Amino acid sequence: MSEHAIAEKSAGRLNDEMLSSLRPPTWRWYGLAFFLGAVVAWGLAAFTYQVMTDLSVTGLDRPVMWGIYIANFVFWVGLSHSGTMVSAILRLSQANWRRPILRAAEAMTVFSITVAGLFPVIHLGRNWVVYYFLPYPNQRGLWPNFRSALLWDATAITTYIIGSSLFLYLGMLPDLALVRDRTTGWKKKIFDVLAMGWRGTAREWVVFRQASILMAALIIPVAVSVHSIVAWDFAVTVVPGWHSTIFPPYFVIGAITSGVAAVITLMVIIRRVFHLEEYLTPLHFDNMGKLLLVICLLWAYAYFVEVQTTWYAHQPIEWEVFSFMSGKYTPLLILMLIGNAILPITALCFKKIRRSVKAMLVITILVNVGMFIERYLIIVPSLSHKNMPFIWGTYSPSWVELSVTAAAFAGFTLMYVLFAKFFPMVAVTDVRELGIRHADISLGRAKVHSISEEE
Amino acid sequence: MLGTFKDVETAARAVDGLIEAGFPEETITSLTSAPFPDGVIVKTDQRTWFRWMSVGGGMFGACAGFLLAAGTAYLYPVQTGDKPIIAYFPAGIITYELTMLFAILGAIGGMFLEMKLPPRKGRPYDPAVADGYIGISVSVPAGDLRNRAESIMKEAGALRTTSEEML
Amino acid sequence: MEKMTSPYKWGMVIDLDRCTGCGACVVACQAENNVAICEKKEIAEGRNMHWLRIERFWVGEYPEVRVRFLPVLCQHCHDAPCEPVCPVYASYHNPDGLNGQVYNRCVGTRYCGNNCPYAVRVFNFHDHEHAWPSPLENQLSPDITIRSRGVMEKCSFCIQRIRRAKEEAKAEGRMVKDGEVQPACVQTCPPEALVFGNMSDPQSRVARLSRSPRSFRLLEHLGTHPSINYLKGGGREHV
Repeated sequence: MSEHAIAEKSAGRLNDEMLSSLRPPTWRWYGLAFFLGAVVAWGLAAFTYQVMTDLSVTGLDRPVMWGIYIANFVFWVGLSHSGTMVSAILRLSQANWRRPILRAAEAMTVFSITVAGLFPVIHLGRNWVVYYFLPYPNQRGLWPNFRSALLWDATAITTYIIGSSLFLYLGMLPDLALVRDRTTGWKKKIFDVLAMGWRGTAREWVVFRQASILMAALIIPVAVSVHSIVAWDFAVTVVPGWHSTIFPPYFVIGAITSGVAAVITLMVIIRRVFHLEEYLTPLHFDNMGKLLLVICLLWAYAYFVEVQTTWYAHQPIEWEVFSFMSGKYTPLLILMLIGNAILPITALCFKKIRRSVKAMLVITILVNVGMFIERYLIIVPSLSHKNMPFIWGTYSPSWVELSVTAAAFAGFTLMYVLFAKFFPMVAVTDVRELGIRHADISLGRAKVHSISEEE
Repeated sequence: MLGTFKDVETAARAVDGLIEAGFPEETITSLTSAPFPDGVIVKTDQRTWFRWMSVGGGMFGACAGFLLAAGTAYLYPVQTGDKPIIAYFPAGIITYELTMLFAILGAIGGMFLEMKLPPRKGRPYDPAVADGYIGISVSVPAGDLRNRAESIMKEAGALRTTSEEML
Repeated sequence: MEKMTSPYKWGMVIDLDRCTGCGACVVACQAENNVAICEKKEIAEGRNMHWLRIERFWVGEYPEVRVRFLPVLCQHCHDAPCEPVCPVYASYHNPDGLNGQVYNRCVGTRYCGNNCPYAVRVFNFHDHEHAWPSPLENQLSPDITIRSRGVMEKCSFCIQRIRRAKEEAKAEGRMVKDGEVQPACVQTCPPEALVFGNMSDPQSRVARLSRSPRSFRLLEHLGTHPSINYLKGGGREHV
């Protein structure tokens, strides 16, 4: 059991292993960072071209006025539910197997919501007046329109960025102190400031623990509200196929699916790259796999309900939108159903698959591919076939939009790579706490391993 | 006065010794890089008050959100659709978001206030704590009492003692 | 909030039994409102800039083929779906009952364009500053701006004409007379299929025509309460 391994090693050795990502970068790291930086630069160039020319460089037209940029926006907001949900739920339920996973998940939240927050600015027709969104007194006497779902978006995403960054920082505080004590030079100065003078006194730990629980309890409602608000961007319209009350819960479920799958993908990657095989064991993948199974079942249920009600009532325009989507985008639809529902639900029932790191990597990457397709298939077909048939249209993304999408993925990965190089990727003190609470008790004829819990 | 100990047992012995010698438990605290269950080394008061800062923040946020959504709409009305000028659902949503934002900020701010961080003047610290060593700190003025504490800790097995302020 | 009410409530009636589909209204609208001239490529991409379009539907099999024409323009809905969704109040409801579009406030989120069920909102995907090759720039109306790229635009019931008529009426201390203000499309239509006026005045031509048993509205089930009534069914149902 991994708790044994943790309890037996010395604290110094544990620190060394878990902080191994903070060693000076290798040429491989530089190569990866450079490549990702190049993709981001290319996307930035494409975006600059779009701003300097006009929006005709995208594939948008009348009536499909929202395309892959908004699909990206919804996808990244969904991904940002990874850390919060996983971390907060596991913290509140006091599940011990959460400990090595938390930091990676929380960091993923912060970076994906940052990327998500860029897209509402990227897709604007006049990006340079985006400050009209800000509520400030001005000589025009005009405030932004809070009746618009886009303003709810702006408020919710601001709240979530601040909340999840603070959540990440809070969780990292003791680890930052740890790194502060082990570094020298300019890095030590930075960590000095970040660690805020943390010493690890008993009282500090008491306050810290209660603050973690309070933050976890506060951040979950925020996360649910953020994705509900993004869902309302669509659900409050009169567009056929969008105007459905199931959208908010459906989007939240989709976000959790996407997030949990992304956390698992990330676990596989950091386990390999940072040699954390002893800390991220098949047990962790097993448990996360069970979580993913449950949430994929929920997603499949929500999707089934949506299609079934559309089919049964057979309102002409609603059914038209669905049959147009399934007719024109059949391969994408099938890939989505396989990735999101069929594959995870069947494969994750088997313990052997859940414990196999390679299998989990494939399954979770397909889940996220499926989720991206799902966002695209919600947005574009509904807009293509709105209420007036004379004005039906089509859409396909242009090279500018695809470049920006690629840059978003690269940017997210780059931020993560940079974060992992400078900050502890595993919740070190959390894992060591497990070692402290662990004890082998002789019970009867065997030694049973136990973990003491707070009441 | 700060003593550095190699493991839990020696640290616990030191704390016992200090308490027997008459040092009040409130002045003794442990410095660890991972949290120990309460009472293993020292007993601490488990009550905290920072959550009220969070509640206060939440109330401020609720007022701010309502004024922002409903107040600005009322002061500068613009008719859109058949929607009322002060619309319930949008005002409710914005109020909720700002409540949560300020509750979170209040929680973090309150936490730092209660921990009294960042420290204005230095506090005794030993970087070895990061590698698993346990520090036992006693707040005691310089003089006889401090020497007494030092000797108790050395007896229990302290690796080193210091009364300098390092952090 | 007295600014929110007005003695005028502009409305339009379109008589489909009279419409011949000639398209003169489309041209008139383009001329009056500085609507950009689009290239063939733009139109093929679905980025035409027509504020008013004639929808054409073929009915029947050869040789008994008929055509139906439906001029569709901004319906100036009283419960417009496009208005509450604009985050910056660029789309709002005028006390006169018009749906206003403020070009210099528009940030270009295109939410209004998505939410319009009639798809009458047009977005400047292209930069149209040079859309009028010489000497066509001489015909541009000075009463109305040329919209920049990234801005949403749509039919305004020729608000510049309404404004001018209201100012003249106010100067003379009277209300605007029925038929005094005519948007470009109404003025141009040869068979007078388009009628415009003040719906608040029960004796105006548009109010009387809207009470006709032939009248219907587009997409009424969505509850948008459009200001435009269409008339159809004057014994020519085979068309």
